[in-house]
Amino acid sequence: MATSNLLLLCNSFNKLSVSNVVKRCCHYRPPRYRPPYWFMPKERVVSEDMLTQENRDFLAEVKQDKHNFQHSLESPLTNVDTPQTTEWTQSTRRVGVIARKIGNYPLWTKDGKKFQTTLLQVSDNHVIKYIPPDEFNPMKSKKMKKEPWKEKRTLGCLLVGAESIDPSTVTKDYCGMFTKVGMLPKRHLCRFMVSPNAQLPTGTPLYATHFRVGDCVDIRAKTIDRGFQGVMKRWGFKGMPASHGVTKTHRRPGNIGGGGEKARVWPGTKMPGHMGNSWRIIRGVKILRINPEHNVLWMLGVAIPGETGAMCYLYDTVLPLKKLKTPPPFPTQLNSLEIPQEYYDDCIHQFEQPTITFEES
Amino acid sequence: MKMNMRCFFKTLLYNKNVQCPDSRRFLSSKEAIERRHHLFMLEKKRQIEKVGRIEKIEVNYKGTPKECTLVMNKNISTPYDCARHMSEWHADNSALAVLDGTVYWDMHKPLTENCTLEFQNFTVAEPQQVNKAFWRSCSLVLGACVTAAFKDSVPVKLHSFPGPDIRSGSFIYDVDLPTLSDWKPTPQEMHTLSAEYVILTRKGLPIERLDVSEQLALEMFIDNEHKSSQIPSIARANGKVTLYKVDKHVDISKGPMISHTAQIGKLAITSVHKLSGSPDSDVKQLYRFQGVALPTGVILNHFAFSILIERAKKLNSARSPISPFTDREPQSIAANA
Repeated sequence: MATSNLLLLCNSFNKLSVSNVVKRCCHYRPPRYRPPYWFMPKERVVSEDMLTQENRDFLAEVKQDKHNFQHSLESPLTNVDTPQTTEWTQSTRRVGVIARKIGNYPLWTKDGKKFQTTLLQVSDNHVIKYIPPDEFNPMKSKKMKKEPWKEKRTLGCLLVGAESIDPSTVTKDYCGMFTKVGMLPKRHLCRFMVSPNAQLPTGTPLYATHFRVGDCVDIRAKTIDRGFQGVMKRWGFKGMPASHGVTKTHRRPGNIGGGGEKARVWPGTKMPGHMGNSWRIIRGVKILRINPEHNVLWMLGVAIPGETGAMCYLYDTVLPLKKLKTPPPFPTQLNSLEIPQEYYDDCIHQFEQPTITFEES
Repeated sequence: MKMNMRCFFKTLLYNKNVQCPDSRRFLSSKEAIERRHHLFMLEKKRQIEKVGRIEKIEVNYKGTPKECTLVMNKNISTPYDCARHMSEWHADNSALAVLDGTVYWDMHKPLTENCTLEFQNFTVAEPQQVNKAFWRSCSLVLGACVTAAFKDSVPVKLHSFPGPDIRSGSFIYDVDLPTLSDWKPTPQEMHTLSAEYVILTRKGLPIERLDVSEQLALEMFIDNEHKSSQIPSIARANGKVTLYKVDKHVDISKGPMISHTAQIGKLAITSVHKLSGSPDSDVKQLYRFQGVALPTGVILNHFAFSILIERAKKLNSARSPISPFTDREPQSIAANA
């Protein structure tokens, strides 16, 4: 049973398709409910404020002003930061982007082949802060077996936030992190490990044009929570026939061990249990089309973890054959006024062009 | 050893016989506070005993839960006692009392004649007077907090606080710190000040009131030259000097105050600004302590309160008592406070 599963895995790995999800560990890690000592709650109990309508309007005005100020902040910054001091090399790692999965659409190549694509929208991303390599000290869980190297840390950490929210809906502690750097609070945060020369100042916006069409990215997201699942869906067991005299055993695992000296069920035996709601990274996903106006990336395949509306974290691939070969916008694409409506990959058929024809053979 | 003891006893003897003219210089600030508190309590006791035969007055209470007539003691019972007859909620939440619909009365001031009584908390329809009383009380407690917060080696001389102006955005107290010529408080120090203030408010100390003669007021504030110079003009303007006490801290103020410090809720001491006086006056500079507070029970999210704090950090535009460009005498500001 185990060897047949291994063969299946190897076969799919050889095909190198997007649906291949490489798991980090084979067993399920249950969620930890007690937060660590440094954890501050984010959500706050919102009660009816004792404010007149005038005051409410004033508060809304203040929030709008702050929002506009944050968006206009980029203009003086971009003029100052245009001379890019450092050059991009193959080994530099630049920042990633937080995106939301918004749906699936088909696209056709110039040969007429149909691809299913996933749309990811990069919504209101801003850089919150940068932590240099020597200061970066992430929390380590006790279960981590390998101690990461301390002295050899070469990558800094860039904290990126997505989707601004109303500060009165979150706790003061959560807001404090943003007010220290003069930003409005964000709904989602993510750490991206970057090389020190790829650092960005606080408040830099990140757009979909940070990536180019044809680039490959790695996507880290939480898979759809499927709940308690049986062994067929969870591990891909074949089950038993539906008829021909099979009694009460159609979707069961069957045998769970051997005999002999170690006559017990081995730890890690595949059994029914909780499936999904776990962090997975899929590698080498290709970008087929970019819409800069709405900041939408069209990714090849539908296997991006998570349901529609879930957040995912994108960054440049680490796969050696699909890495960036030409310098990308480094450290990031700055907002420019004259940009085309859509960027298409070379192989994609654009609908404005004449229809695809085949010669009768 | 014996020689030293003999000298010591001789000096003691001499000091006992000789009248020390400048006795105030030997009073440390802690001792001065204790002395003021002691004199206040003595005077209060004397005034209660002076009433003599207790007469009764009829107090018509109007409001929730139902209107009734209370029979209270003349010159002894306070609106606070009336509130305790109604319920604990009335006693805790009423900030100010209104007699006959017009006169605003402190909760702890004895009633003098038959009257109609109403209680005002912070959620009444016309809260202007209650708000002013609240702002005034916040200034008073700020004075108490500042005297308590500084180290014993730093002398603190409270100057005054002007009349309450809520639209200015902050309540203030002008303090003279003679030993600190150039003090810029760090954010940590402001936090500490706010924490001291919060300790005072959480104790729920009642704000007691007393009317005293000019002579006694001068005797009580013998260590503070600013207050001593303000007292004559205050007495001339109002006839008597009104003192308010918050747990050992005694201060002069004209208007009504709220019932107790626990009615001060969310607060922050936001900034300290330096005010410079004219070079020929004896007060060279004052430190203006500014803060902002909300009454207990007012719900406001942290973002809106942070906007209030930002506003309160700016220098309050209330007139400085030692400004060189004033025509009126500076002490009259304290008389109106």
